[in-house]
Amino acid sequence: MVNHLTKLTLIILLGLAPIFLSAQPSADAGKGLFKNNCAQCHAKNMKSVATGPALGGVEERWADYPRQDLYDWIRNSQAMIKKGHPKAVELWGTWKPTVMQAFPNLSDDDIESLLLYVNGMYDGSLIPKSAVAAAGTTGEATKAETPTWYYYALFAFLGFLALLLARIISNLNVLAAAKDGSTVAQRTIWQTLTSKGVIGFALFAAIILGGYTTVNNAISLGRQQGYAPDQPIAFSHATHAGTHKIDCQYCHDGARRSKHGVIPAANTCMNCHRAIKVGSKHGTAELTKIYASIGYNPSDNTYIKDYDNLSQDELKAIYTKWMADTYITEEGIEEIDKEGEAMVETQWNNLVSSLTNDQKKKIQGPIEWERIHNLPDHVYFNHSQHVAVGKLECQNCHGAVEEMEVLAQHAPLSMGWCINCHRQTEVQFGDNEYYKSYEKYHDDLASGDKDKVTVEDIGGLECQKCHY
Amino acid sequence: MHKTKMDNKAVWIGEKDLNRDPEFLESVDKEFGGTDVLENGEALVEKDSNRRDFLKFLGFGLGAATVAAGCDIPVKRAIPYVIKPDSIVPGVATYYATSYVEGGDYCPILVKCREGRPIKIEGNDLSTMTKGGTSARAQAAVLSLYDTNRYKKPMMTADGGSAEASWGDIDATVMAKLAASNNIRIVTNTILSPTSKKVLADFTAKYPQSKVVTYDPVSSAAILEANEMSFGDRVIPGYHFDKAKVIVSFNADFLGTWISPIEYASDYVKGRKINPKNPKMSRHIQVESHMSMTGSNADDRILIKPSELGAAIAFLHGKVAGGAGGNGLNERAKRALTKIAAELKGARGNSLVVSASNNVQEQLLINDINNVLGNYGNTLSFADASYQRQGDERKLGKLVSEIEGGRIDTVIVWGANPAYDYAGAAAFKAAMAKVNTKIALSYQPNETTALCNVIAPTHHVLESWGDAQPKRGVVSLIQPTISPLFDTRQAEESLMAWAGMEMRGDRPYLSYLKSKWRETMYAGGSGFATFDGFWDNALHDGVVKAGGGAQASGFNADISLAKGGVSKPSGSELEIVFFEPVSVGNGVFSTNPWLQEMPDPVARTSWGNYLAVPVNYDGGIKFLGLNGLRDGDLAEINVGGKTMVLPVIQQFGMAPGTIGLALGYGRADAGACGTGVGKDVNDVVTVNGGLSQYYNPSVSVSNGIGKEDHFSCVQYHHTIGVQAENNDGETINADEATLGQTAYGVGIPGYQGSLTKRSIIYPTDIKELKDSMARMHKDQKNFDHLNEATLYPYDEYVAEKYSQGHHWGMHVDLNACIGCNACTVSCMAENNVPVVGKKEVSRHHEMTWLRIDRYYFGDAENPNTVYQPMMCQHCDNAPCENVCPVNATNHSSEGLNQMAYNRCVGTRYCANNCPYKVRRFNWLDFTTADIFPANQPAVSKGEAVPFGADNLTRMVLNPDVTVRSRGVIEKCSFCVQRLQEGKLTAKKEGRRLQDSDVRTACQTACPTGAITFGDTNNKQGDLSKKLRSPLNYVALDEVNVRSSVTYTMKVVNKEPLDA
Repeated sequence: MVNHLTKLTLIILLGLAPIFLSAQPSADAGKGLFKNNCAQCHAKNMKSVATGPALGGVEERWADYPRQDLYDWIRNSQAMIKKGHPKAVELWGTWKPTVMQAFPNLSDDDIESLLLYVNGMYDGSLIPKSAVAAAGTTGEATKAETPTWYYYALFAFLGFLALLLARIISNLNVLAAAKDGSTVAQRTIWQTLTSKGVIGFALFAAIILGGYTTVNNAISLGRQQGYAPDQPIAFSHATHAGTHKIDCQYCHDGARRSKHGVIPAANTCMNCHRAIKVGSKHGTAELTKIYASIGYNPSDNTYIKDYDNLSQDELKAIYTKWMADTYITEEGIEEIDKEGEAMVETQWNNLVSSLTNDQKKKIQGPIEWERIHNLPDHVYFNHSQHVAVGKLECQNCHGAVEEMEVLAQHAPLSMGWCINCHRQTEVQFGDNEYYKSYEKYHDDLASGDKDKVTVEDIGGLECQKCHY
Repeated sequence: MHKTKMDNKAVWIGEKDLNRDPEFLESVDKEFGGTDVLENGEALVEKDSNRRDFLKFLGFGLGAATVAAGCDIPVKRAIPYVIKPDSIVPGVATYYATSYVEGGDYCPILVKCREGRPIKIEGNDLSTMTKGGTSARAQAAVLSLYDTNRYKKPMMTADGGSAEASWGDIDATVMAKLAASNNIRIVTNTILSPTSKKVLADFTAKYPQSKVVTYDPVSSAAILEANEMSFGDRVIPGYHFDKAKVIVSFNADFLGTWISPIEYASDYVKGRKINPKNPKMSRHIQVESHMSMTGSNADDRILIKPSELGAAIAFLHGKVAGGAGGNGLNERAKRALTKIAAELKGARGNSLVVSASNNVQEQLLINDINNVLGNYGNTLSFADASYQRQGDERKLGKLVSEIEGGRIDTVIVWGANPAYDYAGAAAFKAAMAKVNTKIALSYQPNETTALCNVIAPTHHVLESWGDAQPKRGVVSLIQPTISPLFDTRQAEESLMAWAGMEMRGDRPYLSYLKSKWRETMYAGGSGFATFDGFWDNALHDGVVKAGGGAQASGFNADISLAKGGVSKPSGSELEIVFFEPVSVGNGVFSTNPWLQEMPDPVARTSWGNYLAVPVNYDGGIKFLGLNGLRDGDLAEINVGGKTMVLPVIQQFGMAPGTIGLALGYGRADAGACGTGVGKDVNDVVTVNGGLSQYYNPSVSVSNGIGKEDHFSCVQYHHTIGVQAENNDGETINADEATLGQTAYGVGIPGYQGSLTKRSIIYPTDIKELKDSMARMHKDQKNFDHLNEATLYPYDEYVAEKYSQGHHWGMHVDLNACIGCNACTVSCMAENNVPVVGKKEVSRHHEMTWLRIDRYYFGDAENPNTVYQPMMCQHCDNAPCENVCPVNATNHSSEGLNQMAYNRCVGTRYCANNCPYKVRRFNWLDFTTADIFPANQPAVSKGEAVPFGADNLTRMVLNPDVTVRSRGVIEKCSFCVQRLQEGKLTAKKEGRRLQDSDVRTACQTACPTGAITFGDTNNKQGDLSKKLRSPLNYVALDEVNVRSSVTYTMKVVNKEPLDA
């Protein structure tokens, strides 16, 4: 009897499985696809033009052609241009020389999902109300609510049904046995629930679920996508890279020539901040930290001699004077007021706590930033390979840093993420003499057997490209 | 069928192989010799851990994992420079040209620094002496820099105990003492630096009561004296082994240890590399008592007892220059030397006779032989005479007697260690007690500094400024590659301070050096408009050409007394010869774990000196060691009254009635790594006329009295191609014998290499070269035929993948490989290969990615040797890849056999399936990467922290190579980090890759250019040129693994000398 029950439950669960695993096109799936494949070039609001055109209204623009043409366009636009498709040629005329990456792996369903998402974002139906209300131009759409309670309710109902049926079968069995003259001890629900079969099944289910959870958590252990710690200096990439459009590699000068992107030294900051001594947002609060690190006296524009050997009190005298003087100038007052004194005190205390820690007792010396992008020790990554040779934009991996007030880790930095990009990214094959040794690929490209050579083709997925 | 004595086609690896030792044969097919790390839980027990601890660890481990899983990721900090130096880009290596100098040892080098710390040493290609070559010692110097044993602060003895002192106190005390001294002596080894000598001259001018006493740990004083007598020029002549067609060396290990081995090796192989179209090579005859590294490379060896050396030289002199001589020399040597004399006369002006003898009369005879043969001006010259040995131990002897006479009140010991490496060390130690002020200028403690009351620690050479003049016409600079790690001061600066000289700027010695260079090198016609330009260029190049010295005046041929003065054969039944080991020298390098673990090239023993006993052939079946001693036995020897118990190694090619023992071990004060390793024999070196004679005729050896605990000889580890016999007496491969060949009946000939002769070494004589090549090519055809029957579509892979892009390969010229082990140490430095210590070596757990296999062939009593560097062969059809259950080792499109450590689960199937036995398993936590001490091996007895766990030692690690944890396999990667770097450089520059962009660590270290690496797809590359030679073969070609490494036939140039 208990066996019947087990079987029944299993059948019901299996019957439900398709509901969970359904592969119907959905805006939700489209969001993921968009983020992984399109977001590097197309604006997420579907209305503004980025590297690529705004995607909103794409279906209308392609309405004159069969749906299949749109699929083909998305999968491989260059092939269509070569074939001479009128719409394709028109778009190429507008957008060349920007080439849209090919996505041969996208299925029709994937593209439908994408289009659902594009439409949803375009007409606003997928943008959460609050974000729309806040008129956020860059606000990230929070996760659309999914009716999970619906599945739970269904699950509970079916479970109840299964129990009910089992009960009926059991009762019928008892009745049948009674008809034959033999009596069967009827078990209570409690006895049924504590029977070997049910407990066994419960254990089995717990192990499977527990294992699944453990493995998933173990995989994500050490990953910190979205990590955005408070830094010792409230440095704003949005101000520097966004508003002032300073090139990333002006400060991160290792990216083009070294494995490390390199956090700039304090003397790099000084290139500009010898002149810009009061910040637009934080005033003297943050910039003074740079001066205190390197030993620059902003009051008389000199580097302080023998700075390393000064005591903290001597430092305090120098830098609080600067803070106070700036306050006085800005407020246009003769002498510092109470409010000003409190502000100077706060700024100074903040400076001390930012530039010192358990290991570093002195204010003098390097600014100890909190490291955001960490790779495991057994991974070799080289910035210059990607920036100087692969000619990737920094944003490909680091996201829209120029919009970040507080820097956050954009990508998961997982191996799957790396591999995925190596599978899709085309090697800058034609214009680098180095790749001439790949003769067969050059022949294939010339003959059209291959339309592009990806990093994977030249061994970009092999272990010892990153692990040695 | 045993290998007969003259069957010179067969090779063997040692006595156990020749004797078909059943125990050995059984261990052959077991990876790691069947030893297991956790037999009886030994590793745990040893560290005072037991089962309970294990459970504690287990519980802690689980708990820690749980907690770790629940916690946030720890905050890591990114700390930038405050002011970034222009020359440093984090992540990009900078190279500084400098010179490695240790006493008279010299090697111009480039030091690779990452983020300001030296991590690797490369040779300097611009040097005309070494031509970019290095030695194992030079390679290991970077580890000495980070030696935890170094002095960290100046010290002074106060009332019997030593206390840290400030430099100010030291200077004040020393200057007061010096001023009050009547007689000051400065004891040094050879000083190559002309500027250091100027400092010494200034010092002695300030203190006229001081004198400099120079000696060398292994003496060449007799050569200096003989040349002074013959030519009036107290130097060592420049030897040109490349110009010599016949080379006769009397006991001089000129490829391994003698005077300037890197220079000589690079010259020597020019006459040894074979052009198969026009095969010609030099003749090299070594006259010696034990098999030295140089002797092992010789075509013919003439065996003499150590005391017969004088007689042998006199005999040859008689045959070449006329007259009698050579009384008491054995008859075989006489017959051989008679023929050699004829050969020498036939190569008049193109021959070279050298000797390491430390007897002045013998060296005079050598000079006369070379003079009669017309070699001066051709193969020997004084225009580029060497300054690499300047010492005379007789002066040290004189100093000892002066001290005993109470005449000396101050001794300054600069870098030298006479309390250990001098034959009269005991007398020196006793005498030092009588000296009032004893000052040590040394970068690490040793036996001599222990006697001193003022310790003025010096910089390591990689932290120093300086210059070096190794020979006439060559000067090179020494520049620091890192700021001083400790509160040390350059020795020259200390002397300048004590002499009250002007101290200009922060670095007074640098100012001094520059001013002297301005006066001499720059003013001497440098061709530069400004001194700064000249100086910068000299610093960049590292080496500078200087005007050659004058040719010595005419030869004074008066050798009438010489023959009477040569050493007389002792007539003693057993004699012992002492030799300088290639690794640790005479104890100078004992503190360096890389050199301690480096096996001796010939005996292949590590961590200690082993008594080399001759192997006697009983004429029929067995090869027996002296007194029945076998490898790993302990024997008691009595030398000159001193009794020692030593482990034994059976050594082929020893002169009958001779045993050998290395100098340089048994140090009493050599840090955690070197103290108490082996036995000290400096005190039983005999002395004749004040000159050390490195043998002792008064010796006796016991029978075996036990077994060495940890017999750390690697010769029988990781063997390949050993042969055994089946029940019918047929020769088969040993691994098949243990597989139960008979159970299968007849095997299929050639199937996966079974029942075929294994192609590992193809030795031949130059006169039979054509036939041997034909035979080898026939073999190769046969292998090709066998290998055609395969399911593996190799040709498809070649067409699809390997033929485009890169396909890496390597070529090793066995005629150029001299077995010096520079590549092995270089590989350890480049790839973070751990040191495992004596015990682990004895358990087959050495981790070297590149080993040098040694094979003997020819006459069993006096065999020839071939060295075969063996590393991962990066097989395109690799057997290791197929058996990995987790795909941790797999193949790249560039032909690399990749090893992903983080994927490896440690099944070791791959190591078992590797036909070349090149995979290494981390049995213990050799890199000290985890937290349980029980997993960490003790490299040496005295260490407080496991070797490599200390942050100082870890500074030597290459940041581009993963430090492997316990439980994973590792192996040669063809220096994939260098390949990737080379590729990236070419990509950034937008050009095709050249073979010179990618040079492996073993290749750059090699002093003889034996190793060529490159891209086999680049048909114009260096490698492709090498691959066209008909001498090439692939090791184990018949097993169809498609190896990427090619070797050449070993060719010797023998003559029948005993007919």
